[in-house]
Amino acid sequence: MDNKYIDKMLSQMDTELSSKGMSRRDAMKLAGISGASLLVGSTQIHAMEKDQAPIEKSGVTGKIVIVGGGLAGMSTAARLTLSLENPDITVIEPNDLSVSYQPGQTLIGAGIWGEDDIAYNRDDFVPDGVKIIKDRAIAFEPTQNKLTTAQGQEVSYDYLIVACGLQLDFERIKGLEEAGRCYSTGDNSQLHKTLGEDGICSIYTAEGATKTWEQMQKFIAQAASGKKTNFVFTHPSTPIKCGGAPKKIMYLANSRIKEAGARENSELTFYTNGGSMFGIPEYHDAVLAQFKREKFKWNYRHNLIEVDKKNKIAVFDAKWQEKGPWDPIMKEFEVISKHEKKKVSYDFLHIAPAQIAPREIAESDLGSAGGWVPVNKETLQHIKFDNVFSLGDIAQVPMGKTGGSVRKQYKVLVNNLISKMKGEPLVAKYEGYTVCPLITGIGTVMMAEFNWEVKPTPSFPLDPTVERWIFWLMKIYALKPMTMYGMLAGKA
Amino acid sequence: MKMTFELVTYNDKLNGFEIDENTYQINLSQEDAQTYKLLESSELSLYNWLQESEFFINYINEEVYQDSKGKKFAISDINGISFVRFYFFKITSGDAHYDYFKKLFKIHVESEWQDREDTGREILENLLAKQKELMFELS
Repeated sequence: MDNKYIDKMLSQMDTELSSKGMSRRDAMKLAGISGASLLVGSTQIHAMEKDQAPIEKSGVTGKIVIVGGGLAGMSTAARLTLSLENPDITVIEPNDLSVSYQPGQTLIGAGIWGEDDIAYNRDDFVPDGVKIIKDRAIAFEPTQNKLTTAQGQEVSYDYLIVACGLQLDFERIKGLEEAGRCYSTGDNSQLHKTLGEDGICSIYTAEGATKTWEQMQKFIAQAASGKKTNFVFTHPSTPIKCGGAPKKIMYLANSRIKEAGARENSELTFYTNGGSMFGIPEYHDAVLAQFKREKFKWNYRHNLIEVDKKNKIAVFDAKWQEKGPWDPIMKEFEVISKHEKKKVSYDFLHIAPAQIAPREIAESDLGSAGGWVPVNKETLQHIKFDNVFSLGDIAQVPMGKTGGSVRKQYKVLVNNLISKMKGEPLVAKYEGYTVCPLITGIGTVMMAEFNWEVKPTPSFPLDPTVERWIFWLMKIYALKPMTMYGMLAGKA
Repeated sequence: MKMTFELVTYNDKLNGFEIDENTYQINLSQEDAQTYKLLESSELSLYNWLQESEFFINYINEEVYQDSKGKKFAISDINGISFVRFYFFKITSGDAHYDYFKKLFKIHVESEWQDREDTGREILENLLAKQKELMFELS
């Protein structure tokens, strides 16, 4: 535990609270989070641990291999070391910065944080006794319980956990093919070279977030100088990690534009492949009201398919539905989908890229037709190979591609894996909880929590559709230490 | 009480269902009528009850498809409660059917990104298994 870091964060938070004439206790009352001991004056994250049920150690043994050492993989490894008397755990992860705090990339994109605020070395978070193979698993033989790494090392296992994350698929956008596919962390130089320096950006990598802030400032200055400036934001046709991120960066850009007094000359437009602002009706209504309040424009059913960098034109596949012929059996008119290309001029173009499973997973026996790892969404056990489990972005779990989901998933997975090792039924269940702290401006966050029931599931006794400053403070000061020193220790 | 129903037959060669143009009617006993009343608000429970009811199978064997061992069929309508969507749903079907099957198969639609066609394909995949559950095969 890095108590100094947590104390520093809480101290900063206290300073900000006192500037508003409020104590931390008052703030907690406001947020209704008296049970959240992370924010209590304990100064130590150990207090948070008291909230958790004690972890019983099991004497079962088996060789456990975890593919992927990001937040999901490393939190699982840590939890397993706390849960097994004799853990035999190997994590395969090539990227030195794999545990970097990706939720902070939105804040970097708006100049609130820098890359140093989110960069964390994987090796600083390796639990005692866990072995690391600095390589990438590229071939899987689940019937033989083994895999092979890029450098040719064959690794056998008794139990496999797939937590390798997903890839950003820029190459499917015509005009950006050279960007290829990449991960959020690691060497993304080809991506950034392809996006260039003329208004195209994406916060889905750390360096890309920095470049987003550079480009944002450039075009805010253009708007401030009196020139009409089009800020365009996209949301793709695939599931993405942190579904709120494409809107968060738009809201933050709006804040920065207003700060610069450039709103009058700025047009902010959101193009989403989806048919609503949010999958949960209550949050959809709230976001739509925010869009109207901020005078944003939006277009549903628009998927970015091409970028003409030279002429600064984004091309969308625009879709709609028309009434089709009468179906005499179903006794109704059919619904026919139509689409056409739509060209949009931009000055600043923020791309949320399509996101897909890595080829080595999608094309292996572990992958589903859609590429993801098909698991029972409650137990997280693979549907074909019962000694294989998966969690995080790569798992085929609805609404599961956030750190908030992983926070619930990794404990369920560990409980079920140990049950499997004992030969007992898998009783732990992931219930679909996820959370999206939707930043709606600098200083305000709507804490959107929900689950598979498609209903808000607020942790706090407050209207979850209301934007609140206290949730902004939580986002800025509390969630990172909880993630880095709670989850990655296998405890939060 | 009378129970009116309609059927669809399964054509192995076409790998699909065909409409049986006839309408059939059974007189339910008092006990069966009471069971019917209990189950009519839950269409799949009603269907399952008929699947397990000897009187229904006997009626089919004796009055509908005589000497038809191996014949596969399913019920498409019971007193106006339609099951047609289970056999003839397609990607271009209307929203009401999408909503029904999303709920039945617990398909969560992340409307932020998911295309109608993707959902339709997922429904069709689920329907393949459901159709097998609903199908009768005469012995």
